[in-house]
Parts: sequence; C-alpha cells; structure tokens
Amino acid sequence: MAIIEVHELGKGYDGHTVLDRISFSVAEGEVFGILGPNGAGKTTAVECVEGLRRPDSGTVRVLGLDPFRQGPELREHIGVQLQHTQLPETIKAWEALDLYASFYDSPRDWRALLEQWDLADKRNTRFAKLSGGQKQRLFIALALVGNPKVTFLDELTAGLDPQARRATWELVKRIRAEGVTVVLVSHFMDEAEELCDRVAVLDRGRIVAVDSPAGLIDGVDTEYRMTFRLMDANGPDPGDLLGNLDEVASVSRTGDLVVVSGRGDFATAVTACLARERVLVSDLRIDKRTLDDAFIALTGRSLQA
Amino acid sequence: MKTLTKLTTVETKLLVREPGAVFSLLIPLFILVVFGGSITEGDTVLLPIAVTLAVGMVGLYLLPTTLATYRERGILRRLSVTPVSPGNLLTVQLLLQLVLTVAAVSVLLAVGVGFLGAHTPRAPHFLMTCLFGTAAMFSVGLLIAALAPNGRSANGFGVLLFFPLAYLGGLMQPVEHMPDILALAGGYTPMGALRQSLHNVWSGAGPTPLSLLTMAVYAVVISLVAARFFRWE
Repeated sequence: MAIIEVHELGKGYDGHTVLDRISFSVAEGEVFGILGPNGAGKTTAVECVEGLRRPDSGTVRVLGLDPFRQGPELREHIGVQLQHTQLPETIKAWEALDLYASFYDSPRDWRALLEQWDLADKRNTRFAKLSGGQKQRLFIALALVGNPKVTFLDELTAGLDPQARRATWELVKRIRAEGVTVVLVSHFMDEAEELCDRVAVLDRGRIVAVDSPAGLIDGVDTEYRMTFRLMDANGPDPGDLLGNLDEVASVSRTGDLVVVSGRGDFATAVTACLARERVLVSDLRIDKRTLDDAFIALTGRSLQA
Repeated sequence: MKTLTKLTTVETKLLVREPGAVFSLLIPLFILVVFGGSITEGDTVLLPIAVTLAVGMVGLYLLPTTLATYRERGILRRLSVTPVSPGNLLTVQLLLQLVLTVAAVSVLLAVGVGFLGAHTPRAPHFLMTCLFGTAAMFSVGLLIAALAPNGRSANGFGVLLFFPLAYLGGLMQPVEHMPDILALAGGYTPMGALRQSLHNVWSGAGPTPLSLLTMAVYAVVISLVAARFFRWE
C-alpha cells in the first residue's frame, strides 16, 4: 500500500521552476530516498509532502490526507527532522523530548527513546553542550517521539564525521526495523545505496529515475573492469577464451595478471567460462559500480562535484 | 491543555536560564537602590525611571532577541511540522515576558515603597499607565523581532533604539536640563510617555490623556506593522 502519493507536483518561486511536475509513491515500511545535488529541489519536494509548502499544481497525499489542507490531522502521524533546525541552547535533552511528546495524542515513552538512542547519560545536558552526533540522535528521537507512521529525515548526516555518519546509518536501519516508513533526503550516494529500498533521483526539478539502488546501478550501460591472476601461467590463454564472449569488450594480460572489461553482466559470463575451461584464478576482483556511476549516466554529471 | 502547560513550564525554565531575564530584573533594581539613598521622601522621579527602564529592557531587548532567535534557529519551523502551531509558542513567550515585566515592576515597587520611602501610587492610575506603557514597548519589541534577520541583530536593533529612546524619554538626565525641543519630542516616545505618566501618577495628578493616547497609538500601530512584516522562517 502506498503511504505517500505524489502526482504531477509542481512548485516554482518568482517565475523560476523548482519542481517540474514530479510523481512518485512511497510504500509502507520502505526507506525511500530522494537523491540529487544541492538545488535539485529535494527539500522543496519534501516540504510540500510535509505540508510546509503549498504546491502550485498536482496532488500530494500522505496517509490519504492532503498535507496542506489537512495538516493538523496529518502531523499527528508524521515525524520530521528538518535541515538547519536547532533547539534552544539551554534546553536539556529530556526537556525537549518531554515537551515534544506532549504535542501528540499517543506519543512514545520518551524515557525509552533516550535509552534507545544512547542519550540516557545526556538527559540533563543542555542542547548547546551536545556533540554533533548526539544532537543528531536527539533530532531523530524527536522525530520519533510522536509515534509516527512516516518519518522524514533531511540531510541527516550533513556535517558529521565519517564515523558518526556510519553510526547514524545504523540508526536509520533501526527505524526501518521498527516498521516506520522513512523518507530520506540526501545528496550522498553512498548513504542512499546503503540505506534505501528505492531511490528517486532528482535533477533540476525533475525525477530522472525511480528504482532500487541496485536497479539503478544495473541500468547503467557503461564498461567496467574485473581483474584476476592466473594460477597456472602456462595454461590456456585467457584472451582466446574470453575474447569471443559477447559481453566482453577487451582482455589484456601482463604476466599472470589479467584485466577484462565489458558491459552489463559480463562478470558472470567470464567466471562461467573460466569454470567451464577449468582455468583456476586467484585475487578475483570486480570493480564495484556505484550509484554515483548511475547518477552520472542519468544526469550527465557527477553528484559529488 | 497538557501541551500548553508543558510548553509554559519549559519556556519558563528557559527564560530563567536566560541571563537577559536576570539583568532585566537586577539592573533597574540596582539603579533604584544606588540612587535611592540620596532621594528625599515622596520622590516622584526615581521610581518612574526605574520602572520605565525595566519595561524597556524586557520590551526592547529580551522580547525581540528571544523571538528572533527562535525564528533563526528554526524552532518555529520545527513546531509547524508538529500538531502544535508555532503561534502557541509565541503566545506563551509573550505572556511569560509580560509576567517577567510584572515581576520586575513589583520588585521595584516593593523596594521603593517599602525601603526608600516612596508613596504608594494610586492603583488604578498606576496599573493603567503600566499596561499602556508595556503594550507600547512590547509592540516596538515585536517590530524588531519581525524585522531582524537573527537574534544577534535583534539585540543590536534593541541597543540602537534603547539609548536614544532612554535619553529622549528623560531617563539619562532630567527633562528640565534637556533642550526644549528634545524634551517635547521625548514626550511622544514610548519611554518618554511612560516615564512622564508614571511621574504624574506619583505626583498624584494621574496620567495625562495625551500620554496615554501616545502609548496606545504606538501599541496599536506598531503591532500592526510588526504583524504585517513578521515571518515564521
């Protein structure tokens, strides 16, 4: 069942189109990524879904409700972590959770959330004294305290060091494991690849693809490489064996090191051929294609640039 | 109801932790006590100055800085994605700042009347004057909050307005020693009108309709302008 339905959503500011009639839907229980470079319209899209902005055109339904017209009703059931929001400097962690819990009809137990998000020993710490990672965990806890069916996490790991980012990823997996649908806005490819069940790739206000990260990567039709070493350098020449395979573009050999490049699922064809011919290899490596490659293929430029 | 109670409790704690709130209580009191030693019994000048100072500090500093900071930090925006409207937070803040003003004025009155030999003013006159004066000063504060992009600049605007207004209002030196034109103009500033009215209250004459009208006009016009320009984010 779709928990979020966006149909032909359009939004512009001052005659400048930010969202060009985008459509997507999010299924219950999935982690759905909205991915794109800064300025692609990700935040605007999510803000329309959250009811913070009024769409110029198209329809948005979240849990069957219109976010803009039925906002108060909807907000009981969504949890949001916004980009660039802070809490008052002097509020203590427990006070913030206790306060936000009081906003909802059937909140979660905030004490349990403090424990769960590893903030129990920081309960009496003022917001300004929390580390970046602790603040981020508090924001997630605040997004969950209303016991939402959907959470929106906007650039959750921006500004965190690599270790804290990885830790935050584990937290997102935990939210998903609890059955809460997650909409994740990110401009980090690795993050989307690691966390998302499906990703909408947004570029200049348009959705250029919606698929699973693996599906997006498989959709990329560019050459990539695999390398291996021959166990028996005097055996049959791999160039003769592999050169005839349709998927393989080129084979080169330096001593016992062989580099094969090809398209699509060429690696399976190569390994099958080697096994059939009883050629033993070691150090087999396949260059990992990443979502970044997929993004470049879809938009013609790199996301990280 | 549970939400508003909790919001009020938390906001009260935050206000108490705010150094500005403590200053608004202590600075006017300090001035009253320091200069209070040298005044004669039945003085009609010092308490009006101290009370005006207290109302001015809350209205021109604390209120706009707090509200602009809340907007700057995205706290109002964050609230607008919860079932609670950010308007609730503004209302609670406004009421708390009002309570703080009442507390500051009460302390000044208690010390002035109890220890320094000032007369007890006539309650209806005093309350009416304070009400109009606070409304005028708070609306200026709301305008600053509406126009300032962040807490720091709200504070800056506050300082920028506070000293000229305090001077024109006769808080820095006696009105008799000021150039006539400035003294006259000062009567039409929020601080000047409030101080003058309080002076009249303690003198026994009661506030002049003109002073009350001046403050009322500020309260109404400036709050409307503030409401017009206020942004949630």
